[in-house]
Amino acid sequence: MSEVRTTKIKSSLARQLSRPGGRTIADAERLADAGLESHRADIIEDLGRLIGQLETLCATRADTGQERVYVLAAALVDMAGFFDTGPLYAAGYSLCELSDRMRPPAAFSWPAVEVHVKALRLIHAGGCKAGAESDVLLQGLKSVLSAFTA
Amino acid sequence: MAASPNARVNLEHSSVLLIDDNPKSLDMLSSIFQGFGVKEQIKCESAVEAAEIVKRRPIDLILVDCSMPEMDGYDFTRWLRRETPAPTRHIPVIMLTGHAARSNVHKSRDCGASFVVAKPLTPTVLLRRIIWLGGDEREFVECESYVGPDRRVRNFGPPLGEPGRRAGDLSTHVGEPAEANMDQSDIDMMMKPMRVAL
Repeated sequence: MSEVRTTKIKSSLARQLSRPGGRTIADAERLADAGLESHRADIIEDLGRLIGQLETLCATRADTGQERVYVLAAALVDMAGFFDTGPLYAAGYSLCELSDRMRPPAAFSWPAVEVHVKALRLIHAGGCKAGAESDVLLQGLKSVLSAFTA
Repeated sequence: MAASPNARVNLEHSSVLLIDDNPKSLDMLSSIFQGFGVKEQIKCESAVEAAEIVKRRPIDLILVDCSMPEMDGYDFTRWLRRETPAPTRHIPVIMLTGHAARSNVHKSRDCGASFVVAKPLTPTVLLRRIIWLGGDEREFVECESYVGPDRRVRNFGPPLGEPGRRAGDLSTHVGEPAEANMDQSDIDMMMKPMRVAL
């Protein structure tokens, strides 16, 4: 068995946090929320552009585009994950999961990707708001995903 | 540390290293940390560049995105934990993930990150994790297969008798007294040094 060494560490972060002063947790959260919110409009526009790139991939259906689907879906989830984008995040995550499950040697299904991209476009056009319509879309994506084993 | 909204948190003098290949994500992280009161933020669009920075100067906290080209967040953290000297190797690392690909699950578990925070990300969750790290009492483990904070995080869990408790959960329950309380004179006898005639 290999040797295991354990050490008790007091990090410099712990020392910084315990210094007097600073701001209240409530203020820190409020200011951070406000700072983050200032990026929202710009990011929502970027998310629209990412969906556009996914639409282009679906239109061409090139073999080289299969890996790119995961890359774009992951980028979408990364960006959408900074805000409450509810159903858009969920649909993007479902597309990540789908494209991850379809990696070789598994078979790749463009129609399954297409249905996700269409759902993403609809949700994005609706302002990323949760509601009866987005619930139905997400339920549909769940059924599509369940056809591909994890 | 208390997490009451009126409790104070001081990150004014902390140096935070933010690593993400997406400049917009970096800007958003930067806005969040500005709100937390961090004045010194170092933004890196590549983990390779970040590795050069941690070699040169002290850093209090690192936030790194898991998926990046060239060197990803997992490899960066693994390098930090294994290839740098103390105290650099002990810097708390928060790893941010969007979707975790199946091929990366083991990398994530074994890289030595202090925390893996899954998106959707909110400033509230992030600040809680940072405060938790400030009071982190886990030991730092170094062995052939793993270098990083002890991955076993013990907590109090649900109260005794409630469903969901695990065998390793801590407990504030002290149980019934096993015998009568000691007299004050008995306690004094234990505390006071006395001359003994030999």
